[in-house]
Amino acid sequence: MSEKLIVCACEDVTAHELDKAIAQGFTDIESIKRYTGLGTGPCQGKSCVSGAIRCLRAREALPVGELDHFRTRPPLQPTALRQLAGLPLEMLPLPMAETAQRGQREIPESVRQRLLRPVRSAVSHAPLDRKRNPLPEKTDVVIIGGGIMGLALAWHLAGNGVKVLVLERGYLCAGASGRNGGGVRAQWTTPTLIELAKESIEFMSGFAQTLGINVWFRKGGYLFLAHDEPTLKRMEESAALQKRHGLPTRIIGPGEARDIVPELDSSRFIAASWNPDDGVVFPWPFVWGYADGAQKRGAQVETFTRVTGLDVSEGRIRGVRTDVGTVKADRVVLAAGAWSPEIAKFANVSLPNVPYRHEIVSSEPLKPFLGPLVSMLGTGLYFSQSMRGEIVGGMGDPDEPPGLNQESSARFLARYARALTEIMPRVGEVKLLRQWAGCYDVTPDHSPILGETPGVAGLLQMSGFVGHGFMMAPAVGRRMAEWMGGAKDEMFERYSLSRFAEGRLEPETFIIG
Amino acid sequence: MYFSLDGERVEGRAGDTLAAALVRLGVSTITRSIKYHRPRGAFCLAGTCGQCLVRVDGVPSVMACQTALHEGLTCERQNGPLGVDTDVFRAADFVFGKGLDHHHLMVQSKLLGRVALEVARRLAGLGELPDKTRGAVPAEERTAALAIVGAGPAGLAAAQAAIDAGVKDVLLIERDPHAGGAIGQGLVKDDRELGSRTVAALGERLITNAELVGMYRDDDPKLPARLLVRRHDRLLFISAQRVLLAHGGASQPLPVPGNDRPGVYAARGLLGLAKRCDVRVQRGGEVAKVVVIGTGDELAQGAKALEGAGYPLVRAIDAAQVIELHGDPVDEVIVKSASGAQERLRCGAVAIALPLAPLHEPASNLGAHTKFLPASDAFALQADADGRTTVPWIFAAGTLVGAGGVEAAESGAKAGAAAARECTERAS
Repeated sequence: MSEKLIVCACEDVTAHELDKAIAQGFTDIESIKRYTGLGTGPCQGKSCVSGAIRCLRAREALPVGELDHFRTRPPLQPTALRQLAGLPLEMLPLPMAETAQRGQREIPESVRQRLLRPVRSAVSHAPLDRKRNPLPEKTDVVIIGGGIMGLALAWHLAGNGVKVLVLERGYLCAGASGRNGGGVRAQWTTPTLIELAKESIEFMSGFAQTLGINVWFRKGGYLFLAHDEPTLKRMEESAALQKRHGLPTRIIGPGEARDIVPELDSSRFIAASWNPDDGVVFPWPFVWGYADGAQKRGAQVETFTRVTGLDVSEGRIRGVRTDVGTVKADRVVLAAGAWSPEIAKFANVSLPNVPYRHEIVSSEPLKPFLGPLVSMLGTGLYFSQSMRGEIVGGMGDPDEPPGLNQESSARFLARYARALTEIMPRVGEVKLLRQWAGCYDVTPDHSPILGETPGVAGLLQMSGFVGHGFMMAPAVGRRMAEWMGGAKDEMFERYSLSRFAEGRLEPETFIIG
Repeated sequence: MYFSLDGERVEGRAGDTLAAALVRLGVSTITRSIKYHRPRGAFCLAGTCGQCLVRVDGVPSVMACQTALHEGLTCERQNGPLGVDTDVFRAADFVFGKGLDHHHLMVQSKLLGRVALEVARRLAGLGELPDKTRGAVPAEERTAALAIVGAGPAGLAAAQAAIDAGVKDVLLIERDPHAGGAIGQGLVKDDRELGSRTVAALGERLITNAELVGMYRDDDPKLPARLLVRRHDRLLFISAQRVLLAHGGASQPLPVPGNDRPGVYAARGLLGLAKRCDVRVQRGGEVAKVVVIGTGDELAQGAKALEGAGYPLVRAIDAAQVIELHGDPVDEVIVKSASGAQERLRCGAVAIALPLAPLHEPASNLGAHTKFLPASDAFALQADADGRTTVPWIFAAGTLVGAGGVEAAESGAKAGAAAARECTERAS
């Protein structure tokens, strides 16, 4: 038996595992990191990038000009929650609105381009030589956005014999679908969302058999904590609604909540809403599984391809322009999450979605101690323990300015560390390993935008999921594909873009993060 | 001084790090690896690799190489349920001989999938929850005109240049207990005189035992830099006009099979251990005979410095010649000679002397350009002759910009002077 060559000692990644990732088509370092786990352990990539680069070079997987390191965010060294909880919040302001809108303020356009495509212009100053597949001249459906929504739809459409092209501007998982905490729940306050979530959760438990890749769906339950009476009242109403939809949601007292999570400080909440059937998945394979499945059914998925325009004439969509060519199509689906409004502008369509940054952080890997995903409804704090043993959690900031901002902040670490150590003091000495950020795609009523676009026939909306599209994609993808095939479905009326002009809002209130 | 190792009372020496104390005791396996339960020892001995994580005083996954020994310290080795030396889960290493494809493991049926999930969950993770509940520690706040990170040859020269240029409000942050970095390890031309002069001039503005754990940007254009620095048990929160990074690079493992075996150390780690704690790896009651493996200057200098530090040298060989490492702890290096024949080199330890990978992360995360260094397969920060990176308020010097070793001091001096010119608080 041959001895292992360990490329990443923290996560025990072998050269053979790296080869498998390359064989799967993952050659950019951000994807290799996600596929193998390389660089996600306590050292945060300080000792593995060179080894990985050496493997890539030896296998000639990428031209030298495209070799890159992945982005390593703070903390640079594992840092204890109790230390971060002591940071002076008053010294940690939010970014100014202008900065948030510009996102990465000090990153020049040339670097932006580099982040978009893993190209290392500094080495050779050579033009891009990434191997690109030619785009078809014409296809049935172009889906803009290779996130979970677009890919789930592509898989279903391709299964119905539709010719599909998916365009993704970065690598798979570069957007919100690869940046979330993996929480999956049926505890919602509107019947449509409850049904979408129920179907999706059912699909996820068989995902590995259907799509051939593990998403490690673990039903640890969702435990919502209420800190005051109004929140508890809201919770009771939702629990009653969920019960009518066949969910086992129960309102429980602090004592019973502590039976489920003994480390909770029960003086910090008055009651909890508990659904043992909710759970957590590992987000990345969920995205890859759909992408792989769609391609096996004949769909074309192109990463690192940027949409530069939409062709519209006589009130109809005609095609999509990209940085590698133009594709004609009668139907174009806009599934670009928080980037959807920017793309809709190409067709002179104004979407009401607004992007908001949400930050997440992952702790050091611990032996399993935390079953459910826990969330404080008052503050938006949520946390769960991943299959790798990390405490993964986040917390929205009510004062966060809107913007396509994916930068990390110290303010978030301080707020999260305070909130988490308050509700679960036992983790004070636990260290945080890495933080990241993604954007919620927020609509005025916190419900999605689906279906036809008034004035542009054939431009179909599939956005506005306010941070929970990830957990509803299986059902939304199926229903959208059937609706596009001619089936009737009231959901595409209910959630149509025209509802905002008509003043027909569909408010959803159980938003966390 | 006494401390405990897995419940057993053992002897250590004041001034040692925990990793040094374990080396003194002849302990080579410090932990079991996370997935395959392979025996693992310390590697970099410089706080960058994460191979020496142990439970210290009831806190999980603490770096032994960054922990100062104290009387009564309790050290427990992790991830070996029945003892790290005879870990039964080692079977995983043999079952998955080449590696584990967790994405496609048992996808055939729901039932198997559920079994895999339960098994994987139980095997995941490294440490157990901390023993004690300890509350928040308030951070300390400081501002500075210029904050310099790393008091090696580049950082010291930068600090001196900034002081010479009249910047009073300089802070020099050093992770180790003493300034100097690689000075005195026999790797670079020593300039102790410069070091001690700068240390004296800085006085309290040199902050030791202080490690950069985060760098962020603020919207205030006059004071854009925010540094999170960990000092002992608390964070230091520094706001600065300009930052000069000079914290060097990380030792890299050798890309050959068996590269993670206990007894394989970074050459610079062994040199640091000898300099700081006067301790050397022992085998059979003597200082271990080492095979030094690396490339270029780093190999030549590393081998020479290790000999100077008291290690008997078996041979210094180019990394390209090495086929595999054997033994637990490592006792054999398989090499191929120019004629193509294989040779087995017996040894007591292996020292890896590959070029350092620059620690560009705090700057590149904020958008600073990097450049690929083909000779070392690593990335350095792009900077002009004055050490100015592509982020206006971040300067860099030394190894970080590809100017380590003999070039470090000059690179630091230039960057320090340039950064000083941009600081508003200067003596006229």
